[in-house]
Amino acid sequence: MNTGGIIFVGLSWGTIAILTAFCFYKVFRKKKVN
Amino acid sequence: MRQTWGSKLGIIMAVAGSAVGLGNFLRFPVQAANNGGGAFMIPYFVSLLLLGIPLMWIEWALGRYGGGFLHGTAPGIFHSLWEKNRFIKYFGVIGIFGPLVIFIYYTYIESWTLGYSVLSILGNYKGIQDQQTMQSFLSAYQGLEKNNFFSGLGPAYFFFLITFIANIIVVYYGIRGGIEKLCNIAMPLLFILGLIVMGRVLTLGVPSPNNPTWNISNGMGFLWNPDFSALLKPKVWLAAAGQIFFTLSVGIGVILTYASYLKKGDDVVLSGLTAVSTNEFAEVIIGSSIVIPAAFVFFGPVGIKDIASSGAFNLGFVTMPVIFQKIMFGAFFGAIWFLLLFLAGITSSVSLAQPAIAFLEDEFRLSRKKAVTIFGIASFIFCQPVIFFLGKGVLNELDFWGGTFCLALFATVETILFTWVFGMDKAWDEIHHGADMAIPRVYRFIMKYITPIFLIIILGWWTVKDGIPILLMRDVQAADKPYILGARIFLVLLFVLLAILVKIAWKNRKGKK
Repeated sequence: MNTGGIIFVGLSWGTIAILTAFCFYKVFRKKKVN
Repeated sequence: MRQTWGSKLGIIMAVAGSAVGLGNFLRFPVQAANNGGGAFMIPYFVSLLLLGIPLMWIEWALGRYGGGFLHGTAPGIFHSLWEKNRFIKYFGVIGIFGPLVIFIYYTYIESWTLGYSVLSILGNYKGIQDQQTMQSFLSAYQGLEKNNFFSGLGPAYFFFLITFIANIIVVYYGIRGGIEKLCNIAMPLLFILGLIVMGRVLTLGVPSPNNPTWNISNGMGFLWNPDFSALLKPKVWLAAAGQIFFTLSVGIGVILTYASYLKKGDDVVLSGLTAVSTNEFAEVIIGSSIVIPAAFVFFGPVGIKDIASSGAFNLGFVTMPVIFQKIMFGAFFGAIWFLLLFLAGITSSVSLAQPAIAFLEDEFRLSRKKAVTIFGIASFIFCQPVIFFLGKGVLNELDFWGGTFCLALFATVETILFTWVFGMDKAWDEIHHGADMAIPRVYRFIMKYITPIFLIIILGWWTVKDGIPILLMRDVQAADKPYILGARIFLVLLFVLLAILVKIAWKNRKGKK
């Protein structure tokens, strides 16, 4: 895997992992904004 | 009294279960590898942000809105949005027709995964070391040829029956007692199995010492190394948009039905986004780390190109079983790979069954028992041509009209209806009612302008590129044409029948008023 591949896999996996963690954190936190 | 979900996590798991299907593990890696590798992720994420996530929010909000009027399917939901229009409810028929048509063939494909899981444990394909022989094994299993592996459709039909009955039992127990329970167990299990298989693949190292470059790093590189020239090709952008469309289960009508069982004050913004992220985790992280890297380390850079171009199903049902023969505890890993696909399949197929059942329950006031019985008998009969005429192109025909064209058409109609006819201000308020998080305001513009334009482009592209050649039967052999015509007559009759049922339901309702 070249540097470009490492960057893309890192960015893609990182973005999705952070988004998933953020969403589940908010789901279990249960705080309404509206 | 309509059913409701037992918990917020329950509906998130159910929607994610509907979205996570065989395509996450088979279709996505092939699409990425064939369309620019890592660079494919640029149009993929753009489509996710401009198409997938907005559609997810629109469908969740539409479903919850319709549920407030005791409608769980598109005819009633569309009618509630635009009461003055007498015909809009007939457009909504697509939201029952599409999932039903997909259910008819998807259940059969899903049964192959269960069958292969059991056959892996029993060692039925043990010793098959090349793809050609494994292809013969698959063809014989599907009844397309007779050889020393299988002499008829018996085993495939047996596993189809088990799969079909399992689906019916789940929907019989309803939203909370059936679908939610299944998804609460199946989804975590699916992720555990996926991570186990992924862990095994990523630790394969260099299985062929004679070919040191056939290693897992280069295998990942085959999928992830970016080819930026691909970004100049419109087909790559449309492939990415198509993948987002298929993977999220949007445009089918199932999310409308699932969301209709929400209560008025339940959140749809965070729940919809969580379902999206769960699906993306399964697709981009787990799905990209199994089939392509595994095939690369065993078949090398030349072999993988042929494999990737042979299609997603070959990769799953031909290449992967051969790979499992080459690794230690291959029978075990084969069994959990196909069990993983089965769990991905059944959590999707129950969602495909629910709109038709909800339609009978909501619009004809049938009990769940009666609705499931009618659905079970009808869909069982409808499945038979797919099983017995598999080699005649019936499945592909149903897949294009039910699983591709209708998706884009339905999504376009519902988006325009919600953001233009219902109105963006009301739509925005409806989405945010009871929300656990606020959507960035830029999405008002995206939902009203960008998403519908994106959808119209996809619909036009699919119609011209695939629809017209399919309609004209350009690639169909003369001997198969009667079967394709039969499939089309069936589709038209099914649509007309559903439209008549909608008419009767509204007539009955008017009479009661």
